[in-house]
Amino acid sequence: MITIPNSSEIDNAVIGALLADATLLALLPDGVYWDVAAPKAKRFVIVSLVTADDEPVFGSRGYEDVLYLVKAVVLMSTGNDVKTAAHRIDQLLEDQPLTIPGYTHMVTCREARIRYTEVDEVDDTIRWQHRGGHYRVQASIPGV
Amino acid sequence: MIKTGRYGTVKYDPTGSGTPPPVEIISLNAWKASFKTDYEDVTCFGDENKVYVPGMPDVSGSLGGFWNSDDLTLFEATKAATPGLLELAPNSTEALFKWSGLAYLDADVDASAKGAPKLTSTFKAAGPWTMSTGTLLNAPLAQRR
Repeated sequence: MITIPNSSEIDNAVIGALLADATLLALLPDGVYWDVAAPKAKRFVIVSLVTADDEPVFGSRGYEDVLYLVKAVVLMSTGNDVKTAAHRIDQLLEDQPLTIPGYTHMVTCREARIRYTEVDEVDDTIRWQHRGGHYRVQASIPGV
Repeated sequence: MIKTGRYGTVKYDPTGSGTPPPVEIISLNAWKASFKTDYEDVTCFGDENKVYVPGMPDVSGSLGGFWNSDDLTLFEATKAATPGLLELAPNSTEALFKWSGLAYLDADVDASAKGAPKLTSTFKAAGPWTMSTGTLLNAPLAQRR
């Protein structure tokens, strides 16, 4: 009987790869967040789940196919370089190996680029820049 | 009873003897078998409709799944000079319900930049096939005609 690993380990591996990079944290010093940043954060990375598909084989899950939104979010008045930050995210993820407990990493690659400007909901003189991409991660379960 | 196909199995013994028993091929997620019989049209003058008599039943089909470098069974089977023993079960929780027989196999790999490379295979009978349960069905298909 195959032991099915914890799917959240894939999420953790993506976040871990971003958190471990001093260059990225220097560009976005408020940190890396899942879905929603901490209050008052102005320069940060957001990681969200877009889709998560399981590819079956007989008797088990064969591999997991997960699409993440990974983007740099910067308050424009901070002057932080969102362009460089998004590029650093890409360098850390595109075709880079991930160590995922219980899985064999198959691939990480960007499928689409993201870039837009958001007007703050509370103060319309404030602008937020969002830049990053949709990254697909595939990880197989050994032995199936 | 109706069961899920999730626990289907495909097993193979390259020796064709069944000893040791066939081993499951991993990373597969589909199989299809056809047991269709050819029918000869024997309609005669005066018949009110077409009339047929059964000929020989065919046993052939296909397998599908993902390329897995840990299991090259299907590719080794494509090069085999003698047929192996193929065993197909719709659901492994009903161990008595399965079809098996000697078969020749081939294999195809479909690789693209998106997703895991897919594996397909077709097989053709190389001897009598049996269904492992039921008095009637225990006989080789050819003997039931």
